Amino acid sequence: MVSFELKRDRILMRWKQQKFEWIIEPRYWRNPILWSLLLMAVPFFIMGYPNILSMITMANLYAAITIPLALQMTGTGRLNFGPQLYLGLGGYTSALLNLHMGFSPFFTLIATILICGGISLLLSPITWIAKGLYFSLITLILPLAFLDLTFIYGDLFRGEVGLMGMSPMINLGRITWNYVAYYYLSVFMMLTFLFVAEKISQSRFGVTMAAINENEDVALMMGVNVNKYKVFYYVFPSIMIGIVGWFIVHTFRTFAGITYLPLDFMLKMLIIVMIGGRASVYGMIPGAYFVCFLEDSLRSLGTVNYFLFPIILIIVLVALPRGEGIYGLYHKRHPRDYFPVMRVRRE
Amino acid sequence: MLLVKLQSVLVYTFIWGSIYLLISLGFSLICGVLRIFHLGYGVIFVLAAYGTWAFLDAGLGLIPSILAMLVLQVLVALLVFYKGIFQRYLDREEILLTLTMLVFMAVTHMANYFYPITAGVNLPTTIIDGTFMLGAVRISYQMLLAALMGVAVTVLLILFFLKTRLGLIIRAMSQSTQASLLLGADINKMYYLAMILSIIPPTICTLMIAPFWSIDPHMGASLLMTAMLIAILGGLGNLKGSIIASYLIGFIHASVSFLYVSRFMGFAALIITLIVMIFKRGGLFAGETIW
Repeated sequence: MVSFELKRDRILMRWKQQKFEWIIEPRYWRNPILWSLLLMAVPFFIMGYPNILSMITMANLYAAITIPLALQMTGTGRLNFGPQLYLGLGGYTSALLNLHMGFSPFFTLIATILICGGISLLLSPITWIAKGLYFSLITLILPLAFLDLTFIYGDLFRGEVGLMGMSPMINLGRITWNYVAYYYLSVFMMLTFLFVAEKISQSRFGVTMAAINENEDVALMMGVNVNKYKVFYYVFPSIMIGIVGWFIVHTFRTFAGITYLPLDFMLKMLIIVMIGGRASVYGMIPGAYFVCFLEDSLRSLGTVNYFLFPIILIIVLVALPRGEGIYGLYHKRHPRDYFPVMRVRRE
Repeated sequence: MLLVKLQSVLVYTFIWGSIYLLISLGFSLICGVLRIFHLGYGVIFVLAAYGTWAFLDAGLGLIPSILAMLVLQVLVALLVFYKGIFQRYLDREEILLTLTMLVFMAVTHMANYFYPITAGVNLPTTIIDGTFMLGAVRISYQMLLAALMGVAVTVLLILFFLKTRLGLIIRAMSQSTQASLLLGADINKMYYLAMILSIIPPTICTLMIAPFWSIDPHMGASLLMTAMLIAILGGLGNLKGSIIASYLIGFIHASVSFLYVSRFMGFAALIITLIVMIFKRGGLFAGETIW
């Protein structure tokens, strides 16, 4: 027999020997299942508006890029200005293999993982060599160098217009159904990334991540193999970002370096991290949704939206709690929660 | 043929190197004194070009327009960047960097909104028109003047830092802010001064190169990238490093474009900077002091 009991701050539900509780005050709601169900229900309300569905799919993809980015920034203890490098690598790898060699999306996914993993592993020593701001600067240069390459070898990469006509991941026969399918796939990918990132931060790896972010020397003294962990925190999120590139290629069926590799795109990702609240990987989702909704709703104003967008973001960034972002408003921090501090100029 | 190419490399290394010096000096100055990576530095170029044009458009003459633009530059540098961002978020550098980039983005798009590329912004800042032959290389007088201006501004800045009391205080601050505070330096005033000084070289640069460089609202991004590349290669905030790096990047650009293919020049400079950063941490002069 199910029984309900109202306590001061929560509702208790008892069934046989089991007890479930629901905290009444929304800021303490931490039920990821509830939010996931809400995301699953979204297409039922906006099925007739493919533009909105497409925009939310893009928001999910932005969140899927920034979740690993937040993990990477805390794990390596450095501000990364170039997550879009792996997005570009993943996108171009799958697009080129699909177009020129006829690889199916499954094989392009494997190739993307291998290429992004291999290149990030090759570049991972920069997390040991470059300290503080220099790491940020190297990561800033890398995607720009890649963008230059896409222009130089324009015959291959089609730098100006991008690659088009890659095979779709799913084709259900009707455009609306395809939009819905891609939405669910993007939600699935975002939630998988969130789950993985959350599990990593809650595990022993997460403790080492916090230790490295706080003070590398102390972490080393306490027996943490700092270099090994930094390689992991550089390579693993890079692969995750590469997978988003693969996803973009096989859903939108077009990929252009000029869209994803320049500073503007990086800035958008950085803003999502800041506005969402970099203290928790959950913050990336409201951050991505906020930025996408804002960008899309301003578009109706015409060309004025291009400068209104950064101005509104400046106001939001200044008004939000320092570093805790939108997620900080919703989630009241527990004293035991780890709040990562970014120190760009650290030695 | 090869001799002509070598002459071209030599001449354009000097010209481009000196112009790059003008582009990067202000950026290095802020890096050295405030120890901040000023990602909103591109705003200075956009304001210099479009601010002057807006005042010209409003009916002012060239000189009054330039003076009004300078006042606008000082106000933006001090009120928006220094008071609004740097002072408030010095301890939260990730927010500082994001905000400076957002301001840059807003100013760029604002310039694009009011004066899109089709508006044909054209600053009448040509001092001497025409071209001349230097050996076997043809160059324009304006380009040479811009390069000479780069050298002159650099020499004046160096003299200011080495021979004046204010320069001495700024150099001391770049070595240790805490020690300079103990010795009685007015840090805040010096920061204001550094912010104002950092405006001068890029503003002169924009006015000088406007007749032969394409002016468009998004020009700030590529010029900021050049300034960053030079600052990184030379060593953040070190003027000696910036001077050498400017001419080095000028040499790379000139040699790649005259001896190989010009489309590779940007990529070559990026790769060489990357290699220098990996093998010589902190760039060519890694002292993190201004001189």
